[in-house]
Amino acid sequence: MMQTETITNPTLKKTLVTQGEFATSADPNEVLTTILGSCICTCMYDPVAKVGGINHFLLGDTPKDQSQSTKYGVHSMELLINGLLKRGARRERLLAKLAGGAKMLNGISDIGAANAAFATQFLEREDIVVIGTNLGGDMARRIRFWPATGRTQVLMVQNTETAKIEASLARKIAAKPRDMGDVELF
Amino acid sequence: MQTKVLAVDDSRTMRDILSHALGEAGFEVDVAEDGAHGLEVAARFKPDVVISDINMPRLDGFGFIEMLRKDRELGAVPILVLTTESAPELKSRARAAGATGWIIKPFDGEKLVAAIRRVSA
Repeated sequence: MMQTETITNPTLKKTLVTQGEFATSADPNEVLTTILGSCICTCMYDPVAKVGGINHFLLGDTPKDQSQSTKYGVHSMELLINGLLKRGARRERLLAKLAGGAKMLNGISDIGAANAAFATQFLEREDIVVIGTNLGGDMARRIRFWPATGRTQVLMVQNTETAKIEASLARKIAAKPRDMGDVELF
Repeated sequence: MQTKVLAVDDSRTMRDILSHALGEAGFEVDVAEDGAHGLEVAARFKPDVVISDINMPRLDGFGFIEMLRKDRELGAVPILVLTTESAPELKSRARAAGATGWIIKPFDGEKLVAAIRRVSA
C-alpha cells in the first residue's frame, strides 16, 4: 500500500516521528509516519485550519516514576497542542485519534494499557474530542497520518523488534539528564 | 500569612498539576484558563505571585502580562512565565512585557517552588 502511494504520488514527503518526538505540518503533500507497540501515537488536527500533527510517547511502568512519567506524557501532549496552535489551529476545534498501547509479548509488562488510559483521560480532561481509537491488542502498528486532512491509516504489523526497541528507548530517554524546569529570573 | 499564587494555563491537566504541587508546598492557589480569565481571577484573588503560560486562547501570556502590569493595585506582582517555549526572542518579548522570570516546561516542582519563594520574598 505504501509503495503504491509512492508510485502514484512521487512528491509525497514522509516524516518519521520516533519515540519521544512530535511533528506538525500543514503540507497536503506530507505524511507523518511512525511505528509503535506499547507506545501511544496521538494524531491531532484542526479541520478548519487544515493543520495536524502527531506525537509518539511511552510512559514508564514503575510506580516510583509514575508522576515523573505522567509529566512526560503531559509534556508530549502539550508540545503537540502548542505546535498546532502556532500553525493557526484553535484549541476548541482540535480533533484527535489515538493508536497504540499494545501488550507486546516480549516487551515491557502491560504498560500499553496504562499508556492508552493516560492518553484517553488526558484528552477527556482537556475537552479534546476523540473521533477514533485503535488501541490495545498484541501487535505493533504502523501509522500514517496526513496532517492537512486528518486522514489516518493504521496497519497492524507483526514486529517483535518494536517491543525491544521501545523498552530500550524508554530507558534511554528516562536516563538522559535534562535541564528540566530551568529557572531564569530577569 | 500564606503566599497566594495564581496559575494561568489553558490546559486543565496542567492547572491540576500546578494546584496540587503548589498546594502541597504550602501556597494558597487559584487558577485561570487563559489571560482574560486570569485578569478576572487576579482582581478578586489578589495574588502575591502569578505563574502564566504563553500559548493561550483569547488573551495570550504576553497580553496578560502587559494588562496586569497596567493595573494600579496588582501592577507590581512578580510574574513567572511557565512555558514549553525556549526561543530567546520570546523570552525578550516576555521580559519587555514585564515578566519577572522564565521557566521551561516540564517543570521541576522544587525549582518552581524555590523560584516562587525567591520572587515573593
